[in-house]
Order: sequence, then C-alpha cells, then structure tokens
Amino acid sequence: MEEKPTRSTVGKFVIEAEEAQAMAKESGVAAVRELLPLLVPAAQRLARPPISNYRVGAVGLGASGRIFLGVNLEFPGLPLHHSVHAEQFLMANANAHGEPGIRCVAVSSVPCGHCRQFLQEIRGAAEIQILVTSDEDPAFRPLASLLPNPFGPPDLLHKDAPLLLEPHDNELGALEATGVAVGGGGSCNGIRGGGLERRLREAAEGAARSSHAPYSGCAAGFAVADGGGRVYSGSYVESAAYNPSLGPAQAAMVACLAAGGGREGGGWGIVAAALVEKETAAVSHEGTARIFLEAVAPGAHLKVYRFRPSAAV
Amino acid sequence: MESGKFVIAAQEAEAMAKTAGVAALKELLPLLVPTAQRLARPPISNYPVGAVGLGTSGRIFLGVNLEFPGLPLNHSVHAEQFLVANAAAQGEAGISCIAVSSFPCGHCRQFLQEIRGAGEIQILVTSDEDAAFRPLSSLLPHRFGPFDLLHKGIPLLLEPHDNDLGSVESAVIAGGGQEVYEGIEKEGIQQRLRAAAGAAAKASHAPYSGCAAGFAVADGEGRVYAGSYMESAAYNPSLGPVQAAMVGYVAACGGVGGEYRGWGIFAAALVEKEAAAVSHDGTARIFLEAVAPGAHLNVYRFRSSATV
Repeated sequence: MEEKPTRSTVGKFVIEAEEAQAMAKESGVAAVRELLPLLVPAAQRLARPPISNYRVGAVGLGASGRIFLGVNLEFPGLPLHHSVHAEQFLMANANAHGEPGIRCVAVSSVPCGHCRQFLQEIRGAAEIQILVTSDEDPAFRPLASLLPNPFGPPDLLHKDAPLLLEPHDNELGALEATGVAVGGGGSCNGIRGGGLERRLREAAEGAARSSHAPYSGCAAGFAVADGGGRVYSGSYVESAAYNPSLGPAQAAMVACLAAGGGREGGGWGIVAAALVEKETAAVSHEGTARIFLEAVAPGAHLKVYRFRPSAAV
Repeated sequence: MESGKFVIAAQEAEAMAKTAGVAALKELLPLLVPTAQRLARPPISNYPVGAVGLGTSGRIFLGVNLEFPGLPLNHSVHAEQFLVANAAAQGEAGISCIAVSSFPCGHCRQFLQEIRGAGEIQILVTSDEDAAFRPLSSLLPHRFGPFDLLHKGIPLLLEPHDNDLGSVESAVIAGGGQEVYEGIEKEGIQQRLRAAAGAAAKASHAPYSGCAAGFAVADGEGRVYAGSYMESAAYNPSLGPVQAAMVGYVAACGGVGGEYRGWGIFAAALVEKEAAAVSHDGTARIFLEAVAPGAHLNVYRFRSSATV
C-alpha cells in the first residue's frame, strides 16, 4: 500500500481529530478511515520486537475522530506472555486517552487469535472494522467475521458491567505501602526522593482506579519513571479469556513509548516504578513486576502498594 | 468412566463407544465432556472447562482448565491447551476431533494452530444449541499461524522434536531452599528432576525463539512429572514449561473431582538455554512461591553447540 508522508506524525501515537481530517484531505481519501492503512507503515517503524524482528503496526480510528497507533513490544529475557501485541497497544493507548470507542483498525498483518479475543473486551466488538494491509485485497471487514461464536464478556458479566474504554472507577480503599527493592539503591539521577515516589504512587493509583478487571475484581495500576523524572502509567486490562489480559506493567510501557519516552540508547531508561494492587489478590502482579524490571530495567527501584477495599469484593 | 483418567487407550475407547451405542468414536467425545469438567481446577473463576480429544492413534485425551491464585492470569492453563500438552506428553501424533464444554476462546483457537492441519481439526461445543462438529478453520478464518514465520520443513507440535541441548551448565539456584524431602533421598530426586526436565526440553516446541525448555516437579512421595515448553506463533498463547509440568502432574494424579487439594510439590527443576531470549527462570520462581512455597528449585542452563 502506498505510504503516507509522515512529517507531521513522526513518533506520534495519537493524532487529534482535526489533524486526522486535514491529513485525510491531503491524501485525497473520502473518509478518515481510508487514511488508516496509509499510516500503517509509519506505525510499523515504531515497533520494538527484538525477539522476532517481526514488526506489527496497528492504526485505529476512535469514536472521537482521533487516530491512535499501536505497535508490538517484546522483552528479551522474559517469557513470551510479557509481549504486547500492536492491537493491544492500540487499545491501551486509546484507553489511556479516554477514548470511548474504536470503530476501525488497519493493521500490518492479520490479527492473531489472542488479539481477536482481547478486542472482545470492547462493547460492540463484533462490529469493529478490521483491514489487513498485507492482504491481497485489503478491505475492512467486521471483527465478527474473524472470530465467529466468540467467548467474551457477555459469557461472564451482566450486560451493564462497564467494558474496556468505558469509565471505570474502582474503589481502592486504604493503601498500605510495602517497599520492594529491586536491584540497587534506587538512584534516579538526582531526582530521587519524596517527590518522585509520590508522583509514581499517585499515577499508579489513578491507573488502578480506572483499570478493567471485572473477572477477578483485582484492580491494578503500574507507573514507571525515566531518568528525566517523567512518569508514565498504565492500567491493568483483563480479558474474559484470562490469558490475553494486558498486565499493568505492560500497559505502563505502552504509555511510556506512546508519550515519546523509552527511546534513549535502545534501552527503556526506567529508573523507578510503583505497583498498586489489591491486598491478597487472587490475581497479583507483584512477582511478575519484579522479574519484568529485572529484565528490562535492572537496578530500577520498585515500590508496591496494596489496598484493601472497604466493601468485600 | 473411571474418574480421574486423562488418557483412554484405543481399545478401551472403542469398547466405551460400543457400550454407549454410538456409531463412531468421535460421537463418544461429547458424552465424556461433563466428566472432564468435574476434574477442572479453576479456583479463581469457578468456571470449569472440560475438553475431550480423539488422537489419530485412536486414544482419547482429556483436558481441563487450571488456575493459580496469587499469580497473573497468564499463568492459567486452558482445557484445550491441557488436552494438547497431555497428548504431546503421551507421544500422540495428531488430534482429529475435540469436544469442549464451551466455545474455545481466541487464545486457544490460536494455540491450536501449532498443530499441522489445524484448520481441519473438528470442534464440537457441548453448550451450543446446535452442537455439531465443525472445522477449526471456521472458528479462526484467515488465520495467523506457524507458516507465517516458519518454513514448511520445521516440525510442528505433536511431531517429533529433538532439540540440541549441547552441554548442560549446572547453574544451581536455590529457590525456597528448605530442601525437606521427608525421608526421600535428596540427590536421587534432584537427578531425576534434572533428567526429566532435560528430556522435556529436548522434546519442546520452540521454533520461534529457539529457546527449548523443560520443567519437572516432584511430589511428597518422590514422583516426578515433567512438561515441555510449547511455543505459539503468536507468542503470548505459548504454554510455559511450568504449566506443561502441572498438566503432567494433574494428568498423572487424576485430581479429585470438585476438590481443590494443595499441590504438594516439594522440588522442581528447570532446564533452559543460557542467556535465552525467552527465559522461564524468574517466572518459575514466582510460580513456585505462589503454588508451592518452600519448594526447592534448581535451574540448569545449557549452551547449544549449534546456533539456533
């Protein structure tokens, strides 16, 4: 497919509605959704898959008219379930920006079953239009045609439960701090101290409040800080099928890359992190977050905060 | 149907089909699904899934879902994955039909693509109004699969694998460290665990990362169960060696219907590649911390002589 010049979108993971419309005009396409496949190659270039070297780019059109990019991420030294697929990145990115719905997605290769399942977490998933740019005859088709007879939220939840991209406000209750040191003494290039720790905690808390965890009831959020003291956070996103769930650490890495972070010298540049999750949770991310940081940011300091909801969940 | 049996020999399967009055073996599968469901261990969801598969050898294999509280959900094992891992451990060469209690999710439809001819595997969902066998290709059309990444000669899941492990560097790492084996000779167990995990690594399916891996666990009576890593072309649906070993454990013990006993694992061994792009060391540690605190883990890292 012909590639769209990307001077205004280099490294950008979110394109505002007005700009999207302007780009569509410039490209001579009738509808903004026809712009999506033209942006896929640019998205692919932002992917970070050092294990497979198989770059996937996904470009989605939100109900708001904004365009979101997604790319695949792989983390050497960890099991493959730590990977993030481009379609998951796209949804986590849209979610982090308060996007209420995704209508169409153009992607560089056909979504795998894991992603077709993950996408079921969105209300009206069956009608999401998917175009695969590597197809001989790329055309938009409904997700229902790629995953007939889906297993999904309606099999486990009642119809009024909020789904992914809908507002969540999980009650966290009282927060208890537990320090978990990973690697060295938590140096943050001089930015260490109460300020950064507090910002990490607040960001992770906010992310936990908006996380989508209706199956386990275990809300969780993760925040990371880079050497420049910038904080990025991500919310846990659960899948009805369990295994395709996007961990909060992964969601935070999505936010990091989407915000323009994580590009220093090929490493991620993470120096500190915070995890907020439920006390004695059926689904706990603490251990996995520790091994994730050991592999991705050795020496980074991790603090874990456990909350106890006032009502029994 | 004897409760707790995860493998039914071909002759017995035929006898059961006769007794049940069904014409073909595959018609027996849906009748066995409720029994399989009762063997499931899903303490987080309490949503038991049972899967019953017919191998090309005529043997029948059961699969159930497993969930492990205290861990992220990607440590869960789906019934379809259990079924395939069970069949693989028994040297089954192919699966022709599967009956399952609820629609396979996308993760499983993807995992099943690792089997050659996956598109033609017949799937019946017992909870379906019009329960009938249909090809897997109808449940995952326009698939992403092994041939998007591998060339055709590479062995797929259920085909013989004999990964080169080279020299196994013994990098022994103490896990919960109590090393209490209740009177059973420690060194003997460690050797058997290492051998079992090594054999499992040799047989593992890891064509995408080249990182063969195997895991073995020992129970309080010194019995050893092992499992091979099974990679998925789509990466995330891969079945970890730890999970595969738990499948081996449940399939051998049978489990007790409806009752979630503790796991009773005292020791374990992981065999994986040195400096692996895909390493299970950390994940095995957190798994044991949650499932068998105090269990001793030895990790053995091999250096392949060939570059993979």
